[in-house]
Amino acid sequence: MTLTPQRRSGQGPDTGRAPEVLAPSPAPAARWRRVGAQPWAMAAAVALAVAGAAVSLNGVLRGWAWYPPVLTTVCVVALAMAALRSLRAQPFLVALGGFASLVFILTFTFFRRYSIAGFIPSGDTMEQLGRYLRRASETVLAESSPVAPNAGIVLVTCAVLGLVVILVDALAVPLALPATSGLGLVAVLVVPAMVKPQSVGVWGFAAAAAGYLVILACSQWFAPDNRITADTARNPGQFRRAALTGGMALVITLLLPLAVPGFDQGTFPQGSRLNPWGSATGLNPMISLGSSLRSPSGDGRITYATSASRPPYLRSVTVDRFDGDSWSPDDRDASRRVGVGRMDAGYEILADEQVRQVTAVNTGRFTSPYLPVPYAPDAVNGLAGRWSWDPATLSIKGVDTNSRNQQYVVQSSAPRLTPELLSQSSAPVRGISEEFVRTPNNVPEIVRRTADTVTGGSSTPYAKAMAIQNYLRSVEFTYSLQSPVQGGYDGNGLSVLADFLAQKSGYCIHFASAMAVMARLEGIPSRIAVGYAPGRSTGATVSVPGQGALTEYEVDSRDAHAWPELYFQGLGWVAFEPTPSRGVVPDYASQASTPGGASTNENNDGLVPSNAATPAATPSATPAPLPGLDSAGEAGHPLTLPLYGAAGVLVLALLVASPRLVRAGLRSRRLRGAPSSGGNPAAAAWAELRDLATDYGLAPGVSETPRHFSRRLLGSGALGARDDGDGAGVRAVASLTADFERRQYGPPAGRADAGAAPSEASVPPAAERIMAVQAALRRHSRPARRLRAEWLPPSVLNRWGHVAGAPFRAVTRAAATTTQAAARSWRTVRDGLRRLRRG
Amino acid sequence: MDSHRRTTVDEALPEGQGFPGGAGVVGNQLNGTRPTAMDAEAFHNASERILSAINTVIDGKAEAAKLALTVLLAQGHLLLEDVPGVGKTLLAKTLARTIDCSVSRIQFTPDLLPSDVTGVSIYNQASRLFEFRPGAVFANIVIGDEINRASAKTQSALLECMEEHQVTVDGDSYKLDEPFMVVATQNPIEMEGTYPLPEAQRDRFMARISMGYPDKDSEIEMLETHQATSPLTRVTAVVTAADVAAMIATVQRVYVSQAVKEYTVSLGRATRESAMLRLGASPRSMLQLLRAAKATAALDGRDFVLPDDVVGVAESVLAHRIILDRKAASTGETPHSVIRGILAKLPVPQEMSAAPSRGGSPRGGPDQRRTR
Repeated sequence: MTLTPQRRSGQGPDTGRAPEVLAPSPAPAARWRRVGAQPWAMAAAVALAVAGAAVSLNGVLRGWAWYPPVLTTVCVVALAMAALRSLRAQPFLVALGGFASLVFILTFTFFRRYSIAGFIPSGDTMEQLGRYLRRASETVLAESSPVAPNAGIVLVTCAVLGLVVILVDALAVPLALPATSGLGLVAVLVVPAMVKPQSVGVWGFAAAAAGYLVILACSQWFAPDNRITADTARNPGQFRRAALTGGMALVITLLLPLAVPGFDQGTFPQGSRLNPWGSATGLNPMISLGSSLRSPSGDGRITYATSASRPPYLRSVTVDRFDGDSWSPDDRDASRRVGVGRMDAGYEILADEQVRQVTAVNTGRFTSPYLPVPYAPDAVNGLAGRWSWDPATLSIKGVDTNSRNQQYVVQSSAPRLTPELLSQSSAPVRGISEEFVRTPNNVPEIVRRTADTVTGGSSTPYAKAMAIQNYLRSVEFTYSLQSPVQGGYDGNGLSVLADFLAQKSGYCIHFASAMAVMARLEGIPSRIAVGYAPGRSTGATVSVPGQGALTEYEVDSRDAHAWPELYFQGLGWVAFEPTPSRGVVPDYASQASTPGGASTNENNDGLVPSNAATPAATPSATPAPLPGLDSAGEAGHPLTLPLYGAAGVLVLALLVASPRLVRAGLRSRRLRGAPSSGGNPAAAAWAELRDLATDYGLAPGVSETPRHFSRRLLGSGALGARDDGDGAGVRAVASLTADFERRQYGPPAGRADAGAAPSEASVPPAAERIMAVQAALRRHSRPARRLRAEWLPPSVLNRWGHVAGAPFRAVTRAAATTTQAAARSWRTVRDGLRRLRRG
Repeated sequence: MDSHRRTTVDEALPEGQGFPGGAGVVGNQLNGTRPTAMDAEAFHNASERILSAINTVIDGKAEAAKLALTVLLAQGHLLLEDVPGVGKTLLAKTLARTIDCSVSRIQFTPDLLPSDVTGVSIYNQASRLFEFRPGAVFANIVIGDEINRASAKTQSALLECMEEHQVTVDGDSYKLDEPFMVVATQNPIEMEGTYPLPEAQRDRFMARISMGYPDKDSEIEMLETHQATSPLTRVTAVVTAADVAAMIATVQRVYVSQAVKEYTVSLGRATRESAMLRLGASPRSMLQLLRAAKATAALDGRDFVLPDDVVGVAESVLAHRIILDRKAASTGETPHSVIRGILAKLPVPQEMSAAPSRGGSPRGGPDQRRTR
């Protein structure tokens, strides 16, 4: 329809503005004159916006060392495109030039020595690129959230931001969609929003928003869109509309997070973020510790069966490098050895008795470069792919594979430790890498003081360790996933540690790192093991060759855990459990445990399979602020899974079939002449005919009369030609239309001279005619359309969409009413002001 | 009736003929007894006869002919507006000739007096009484040629006749014959020195038709058939005035359902609320629209009105009554295109609506004007 005339001229004729407005030529001329400045200004705006959005990556990448190369890349790409555009190159060529300049600048920055003339990529460059990319992917998989800005990750960042520049530029200039170009900036902001515990951050958000506004301003300045030109007679109330839109957006932004689970802290953009992994806000070991705990599927369920008497801790990686800023996993790739058939801790064990265990692990969908195994592994069999192990930590890492869908058998051994043995180990530590005892210089005073106070009366390393553990397990400390986030010390640096010791509330990362740091301060080598706390029994047994049937346990991401390991000369690395209410305190470490230590190890109660009779009542979706306390009922009855599966399939099938079922129900109700149709079979049949036509892609228009619709239906050929023999459908449509018209618009039946409807007797009942129409439609439609009409009938889907849209329409109506009222009052005010000025 | 028979369409001013009885007899016999409606068969036959008779004279203008007949049966008046020489007057004359009734033709000129139209009272020396001499308007079908050339005063003399079907001279009212129809023509090109019809007067015409040029074949055929003799001479009356009155009665009995009434009203309201119109359709035009729709339905052989009938006549009935907003006019809209646009958006009542609130949106009554 032509009801929305396109406003081409900026000024209405009644503004009384100068005559040059009426002359047709000035606008193009002005644009032509400005062509020199536009590309440069736009490029500057795009570069500013992308570089501003990149600011928010600080915190995903550590420090600021990565920023200069990013800035260079962004500026070079933007300027190259601007230069091409100022030469009036085709848009396609401009984008191509942008790509080329991106390749050149990346080569120049990262592979200068491996390229031709310093910036043209060559075969060597590609080789190097592969190395860098591997490095980057390892960083992404294995490092915790503020990752070190190594060359690989910076290269990827630069490349992505360069592409974003090209995307934003392409959207804003040749496609003339400056508002849509914000998508590119959002793409940049999404990364920190998902990864950083504190979301994007004010500065990054402000910089990106400012850049976006500059893009919009430049676009409007150089290529004015008359529809949004303010203060013209054709387009009054621009400011009012803008203010209203902005206000509504703000209100929605403030209200929406309340409705989205996960947005439960603070307000956007600071202090909250969507947490797709569950309700453990802000704290997610998988994010803040990164590394092998990263479980993309959200559950990462691992099952294992062990010959040990109680389920062991599964350790996947150790975190031992502590540079004061954060703990990070070992990356001693150079010293790793390939082949895990035989592993050796590399230190001598003086203990008399070795406990040997065999554990069969099934990792399921748990994906990590590191392999979860009980400590200390001697041999791992049955793995797919090549794996390497680190002699210093015995962490097992895939060379070209990861832990997904691995089934393997681990033979592990550890000395049978007793407090006595540990107490005797007081010899100075030898043969251990310096890394495990190194402490940064800037250890906060509170940490040092606490360590000294706690271990004041202890002499042996074991006594000191026990003192630290008991201190951390004392009633002073509480386990909380929330308080570090609220207190702003969520993370694993030294300042965080100081905050933790002051607040005395945190979760396993804090307890483990506190104990590890304090141990180092007291001269005991330490490291943090990351993996899973002992799991729950599934109630099933697994038969392992040579071991018979073993009890099966399971862990998932809620059992993710970190614990300290301390080194004792002659005994090796010994695990401790400083975290209250998580895990199991080992026998050797529980001797002097204070009674108030709150060692609530419900996990182990789940070893009895029989108490898992009622698993269905507690679906696992319930929030678990204390994941370790989750009930043993999770284990489930063996029949539960198939039952759930069957129910799920049934629900799914029902869901898939529901449009069809609804449609069929509607049809039969109509054709039966149900009272819902007002006892009017003609109208019901007509409604059915309309829906049938809608289903087969011939939806009647709202403003279409019955006769017109019927004529269109007949003319479309959807029912077949009138004369091709099977005219039943055609005749049916014609007679249905006539019936409906007579019923709907004709004189009521009671009137004396109302022509007695001739159709009643001679024509088959409506149901039969509808069937004829349906058969004709089906016969003359293509298979895809037929399938759609039967399984996803548009008539039903449209109706559902209509119902679903009702709240939005109500809001729109309310907004329109408000706008009108606001406009009226604004007009009053404006007129008053004008009168005042004139008078 | 026979006296009327003598009327020839070529007489410009059929001065007083056919009204021997003066005022008292002016009221036709058709007024006295209510004409009985025809049955559907007879109606159909009569309308077919009329239309085919017209079509023998005017080639390729079946639509215009049908609309003219529709207006006649709906008791409306017709405005033919087009450039000279496309057969406006011919259509009017042919329609008049096919019906056995009195016809008069008025050639409007700036010096035409109102009394020329309505009639005048003359002092009769013999009887010493004022005697009314009926004007040209006393006929069943009045052809007003180039109506916009007459002065406003003369034009407005037609007003009362058209609306009330009566003439008032010197305080006495004289009933006009039934059926009564004014077919006025005007030329939209030469507007210099003319008195364009004011809105009030345009509103009294039920429909305005533009004839348009005939297509190639029709034009060639016209050149052949119209060479020697005027085609009008071949036309003979195919129905009597009484037949027409019966047909009109039939039309009046056509049933209009609640749904169609609502549809019509919502169409009218939509024109009043449209941002592109300065003046929407009046309530009177709604009445005439529905009457025209009834006639269309009857001509289509139905005894009830469909929304299609309303849609079919809406453009012809409404286009000359609405006034475009200046902005819409500057963007190339025409009244016809605006009405088509409104019709394309207007929901047609499909369900058996019990709620009569359908057509009426709460805001925007007829008095609401857009203030700009």
